[in-house]
Amino acid sequence: MEVTGQEARFRAMFAEEAEGRLATLSELLLELERNGEDQELLSSVFREAHTLKGAAAVVGLADVLRVAHAMEEVLEGLRRGDPATPAAVDALLGAVDGMREMVPAVLAGDDRADHADRLVADLHDPPPALALPPDPAPPPSPESVPGPPPVQPPPRRERRETVRLRVERLDELVRLVGEASAAALRVGRVVTDQLGGEPAGIPELHDLSRILESLQERTLQARMVPFGTIAEPLRRTARDLARSLGKAVELELRGQETELDRGVLEQVADPMLHLVRNAIDHGIELPEARLAAGKPRYGTVRVHAAQLGSEVVVTVADDGQGIDLARVRQQAGKAGDALDGVGDDEAIYAIFRSGLSTAATVSEVSGRGVGLDVVRASLASVRGRVEVLSEPGTGSEFRLSVPITLAVLPCLLVEAAGRRFGVPMHSVVSAEAAGWSEDHVEGQVVIRVRDTILPVSDLAATLGVAGQGEAPASDSPAVVLASMTRRHAFRVDALLGQRNVVVKDLGRLLPRLALLAGASLEPDGSILLVLDVSGLVDRARWARSNGAGRAAPSPSPAVPAPAGPASVLVVDDTAVVRELERSILEEAGYRVRTAADGRLALAALADTPADLVVTDVEMPNCDGLELTRAIRAQPALTGLPVVVVTSRSSDADRRLAMDAGADAFLVKGDLDRRTLLEVVGRLLGLAVQPAGEAGR
Amino acid sequence: MTRAILLPVGRDWYALPPVALQEVVAGPVVTDVPMAPATVRGLFNVRGQIVPLLDTAALLGLEPTAACPFAVVVQTAHGPAGLAVTGMPEPAELAWLVGPTRARGTVGAYAAGKRVAVMLDPLALMAQLHPPGGR
Repeated sequence: MEVTGQEARFRAMFAEEAEGRLATLSELLLELERNGEDQELLSSVFREAHTLKGAAAVVGLADVLRVAHAMEEVLEGLRRGDPATPAAVDALLGAVDGMREMVPAVLAGDDRADHADRLVADLHDPPPALALPPDPAPPPSPESVPGPPPVQPPPRRERRETVRLRVERLDELVRLVGEASAAALRVGRVVTDQLGGEPAGIPELHDLSRILESLQERTLQARMVPFGTIAEPLRRTARDLARSLGKAVELELRGQETELDRGVLEQVADPMLHLVRNAIDHGIELPEARLAAGKPRYGTVRVHAAQLGSEVVVTVADDGQGIDLARVRQQAGKAGDALDGVGDDEAIYAIFRSGLSTAATVSEVSGRGVGLDVVRASLASVRGRVEVLSEPGTGSEFRLSVPITLAVLPCLLVEAAGRRFGVPMHSVVSAEAAGWSEDHVEGQVVIRVRDTILPVSDLAATLGVAGQGEAPASDSPAVVLASMTRRHAFRVDALLGQRNVVVKDLGRLLPRLALLAGASLEPDGSILLVLDVSGLVDRARWARSNGAGRAAPSPSPAVPAPAGPASVLVVDDTAVVRELERSILEEAGYRVRTAADGRLALAALADTPADLVVTDVEMPNCDGLELTRAIRAQPALTGLPVVVVTSRSSDADRRLAMDAGADAFLVKGDLDRRTLLEVVGRLLGLAVQPAGEAGR
Repeated sequence: MTRAILLPVGRDWYALPPVALQEVVAGPVVTDVPMAPATVRGLFNVRGQIVPLLDTAALLGLEPTAACPFAVVVQTAHGPAGLAVTGMPEPAELAWLVGPTRARGTVGAYAAGKRVAVMLDPLALMAQLHPPGGR
């Protein structure tokens, strides 16, 4: 068929619009599966299908139109009272998937009439759905076998004044704004050099830089997308996989409004999908096994996103069987890398190695040992990192941290061997201008930061840029950097301060440069190299183990000193709050464990004591007040400081907490890093300025 | 007769089609890249753009050159790249093929006046940045 230029433009517009509508339809249909009688929801689904049909008719895509029409008929039946059976929803979702595939193919000139026929036939006569094993009858007691928790329907989308924009145009805009800012800095430099004036003293230049700064901020904001953008594929993956495996799974998404750079989100989307798939395939047990283990029939996979400073932290947690560490060690041994002498905390990271799988059987979903290494690589490509926690029988948690944007990176500038380097701030744990004193442990040079010892290397030597006799003195400044899984200290000549750096990717022409994250053009035209902390730490460890460093390698990234840092137990049923508090406390050098409710907290305290407890009030099973009373009632724990953190701020709530035995009462709305650290430090009798404060 | 730009690299002469050449930078200020392979001399600033400077000799499998008084900027599929040369490039006419060449990234030796110059294939030459088994 001959297509004119104008028709081609309309068809391209249709393709873009259809993509958005089909994603919305998929999301609404998943919701419909839970709330099949919600007439407003049904109307929304119907409206989307109807609009899609109309648009397909306008651009003359007859096959798409037929499928959309058949969907409309099924939805009309549901509006009249037909039940939204799993088979019907499967057929509707199948039609959505089919159209996603058909639209680009038909637009490219392919004939998809047969495909459309099949989809229409399935809609009219849905094939039987893969079903979960039926719930035991009569319905089990709510305490032992709860059904899926009630789901709040997402708010209806408001109509907004928007304009569709190709991503490449936006990227180009961001690049140009970045270059304009860099050019303005160079102009300032010329003014300083040739006219002898300070750029800040010239109003016109001052205005220009202020406007450019604002422009840069706005254009970067334009690239931001909410984390919820990937909610639909996550929900869909969870639902389809759970159904195909016969598992009962509830996916809980929180923090969908958290924004991050589109490019970063794109890189994070696949790792997230993989982790959710893994959680369902390997983590969550079959319903019978869960019931036998005294767990709710429905397993929960929680995906929580929250912004922490210049990073977004996403946790993927499940309440399944946890990672079988013995099997990880066994598989690593088979792969020729026994983890003898490596602690559990570090050994668990072997799951990210290429080719290592702990799945008992190879399935279509996972078990081929391909995946977690890709997760790690994808995160590394956006300068992110991943942490893993797992408890046998209780579940696993993957915590992904990624920078909000890659275009502008807050960096600590350091000097080594007379050269300046940028270090991304999100990898800087602490920095100390006066340096930390060095110790020797088992022939290794280490430094003590708070009550933890860390391996230390010279930055210049690690980078291979040190000259003869240029090694910094043992009392020279040092920075502690955190790679994906390890911490390492580096001696430098000087700390030059912190500033935002417009980082440029070095492109695909060059081979991978393990020590370099990117480069930036300085106002004087010179080039600032921004270091890749993961590569740097790996290189330093390799150099130490090969005798090229100042000392032999350390067997562990952070060997606790005998006294050990203070240990805090954080108790909150909301993963985001738990993570926020944990992050603040860990950054400040505390050892932190977490528990999701009061009952689990008491079990954790019985297992290993803590120096302080930070707890929420409203939690399932055993709330924060009951937890506090239980702590005060136990002779072994009665002196344990308890900080209550709650969203309730009335005097009555404060009194209730104090009556229960709390030592401090903080309101979540007012909670910030300083307040929490001040209160915790005060109750532990420590100085208020912990190690993590330095250099921040 | 084919027009070309002759590039001095050590004692050898190489040739590039004029269309591949973007500009010549005299005395490039190079920022070394730690732990980079011998084929990468560093990064330099070309009109506000950060451009990698490559060691032409190392790309051809020869000993890297010590000095880099000039950089020849060429366009690649992944943006501009600089080729380090040891003298001022000059235009020339390539008369005829005088023999085959073995190094990857070359297409043959040509007579160019009194000199013999090895014609470069910039795309094949850049491929040497990613040797098999590398990234």
